[in-house]
Amino acid sequence: MFSGYDFDVIQRSAGYLFRDGMTFTLTLTALAMVGGIFFGTLLAMMRLSKFRLLSLAAGGYVNLMRSLPLVLVIFWFFFLVPYIGAWIIGAKDPVKVGSFLSCLITFTMFEAAYYCEIMRAGIQSIARGQVWAGYALGLNYWHTMGRIVLPQAFRNMLPVLLTQTIILFQDTSLVYVISATDFLGAASKVANRDYRLVEMYTFVAVVYFIMSYGLSTLVKSLQSRIAIIR
Amino acid sequence: MISIKNISKWYGSFQVLTDCSTEVKKGEVVVVCGPSGSGKSTIIKCVNALEPFQKGAITVDGISVGGPKTDLPKLRSRIGMVFQNFELFPHLSVTENLTLAQIKVLGRTEEAARDKGFKLLDRVGLMAHKDKFPGQLSGGQQQRVAIARALSMDPIAMLFDEPTSALDPEMINEVLDVMVKLAQEGMTMMVVTHEMGFAKKVAHRVIFMDAGKIIEDCTKDDFFGTPRSERAQLFLSKILHH
Repeated sequence: MFSGYDFDVIQRSAGYLFRDGMTFTLTLTALAMVGGIFFGTLLAMMRLSKFRLLSLAAGGYVNLMRSLPLVLVIFWFFFLVPYIGAWIIGAKDPVKVGSFLSCLITFTMFEAAYYCEIMRAGIQSIARGQVWAGYALGLNYWHTMGRIVLPQAFRNMLPVLLTQTIILFQDTSLVYVISATDFLGAASKVANRDYRLVEMYTFVAVVYFIMSYGLSTLVKSLQSRIAIIR
Repeated sequence: MISIKNISKWYGSFQVLTDCSTEVKKGEVVVVCGPSGSGKSTIIKCVNALEPFQKGAITVDGISVGGPKTDLPKLRSRIGMVFQNFELFPHLSVTENLTLAQIKVLGRTEEAARDKGFKLLDRVGLMAHKDKFPGQLSGGQQQRVAIARALSMDPIAMLFDEPTSALDPEMINEVLDVMVKLAQEGMTMMVVTHEMGFAKKVAHRVIFMDAGKIIEDCTKDDFFGTPRSERAQLFLSKILHH
């Protein structure tokens, strides 16, 4: 039944698919995860702040990001970032921003909203007494957060953070809308060039499935190990 | 040392403390008791500003607790506090629990902080557990580590918020023994507890609270002899006859 298909195209294009495409996808995922968790944690701290202005600003940002479709945000940032960059440095012409950098900024800012909600739940899961104990010892807000609350919140939320990262890994494929060459984008280019759409998209699906499923299995085993430690 | 003057506190429209005043002198051990919900834990948390209060004034060693210019972390670092649920940091080892604040707040070197921590750990008889995590210790052991942690900051006074209430009965004494020793060494202490044996043994004064008010504030002998208020008599008869 596969007589009409040419699966050799996969082997022929594997170098391009993985060296260019998958590298783009994984680098973007990893950096957006690190940036997203960093800014997400800051946002979570702001949302839980007793200063109303901070919590309102962070809440507004998170709600805005979570109410917009990702594709729209990718588009929007791709066309807007050059102008924002120009405005920041005071240049006349739009700044040239590569598609990778544009994607990275977009995903970091978008995912920060989701990581924020995870970290917020994590921070709130830490008993109030822990904060009291930190303050009672004379530790200030930053030390109490950095050494007592966040490490525990992070550990409690690790499985959820990783699950969100798997979603991020899949979502990075949406960068095809700005013609960036991620794994899907690379495959799509080969598919169209050689007219091997079924073969390439099937292969892409299999690879995404294996990687995502493998990662989520890992998360599950991690989850049960954390449960034992606790 | 600790002076509490006309403190009132509300949660929304609900008043939890009403016009409470008392004083704890240097070297004095004061036991605060009363039925649950009487505000005794709240008042002790007001002393190191873990709970804000709306009216009145508290000073510790001459420094106003509620003052707008008060360096709260510095003030808190001089007042040791022990909690009902120990509140050791579960992700840090016993040693790290003892040294973290010494290094971050007092600016001690890691070595000095560790020396100090070990000295106190030895004093509460837990030197063998220095590398364990809080989760690996019994409740009584955790509370003794928590006391050592508070003492490692060289506090001028210690606050205890029901330190034995979360413990199994057979572990209460090991914690009380440490506290009795501390009291006998002259530490200024304010202790919220139902352990009347402890109060009889080392307290100088007993404060009895009910419904957010200080009902009795008298010497230990007066309190256990003839409490003036009916409410305190009733409370005593209930907890002493069981």
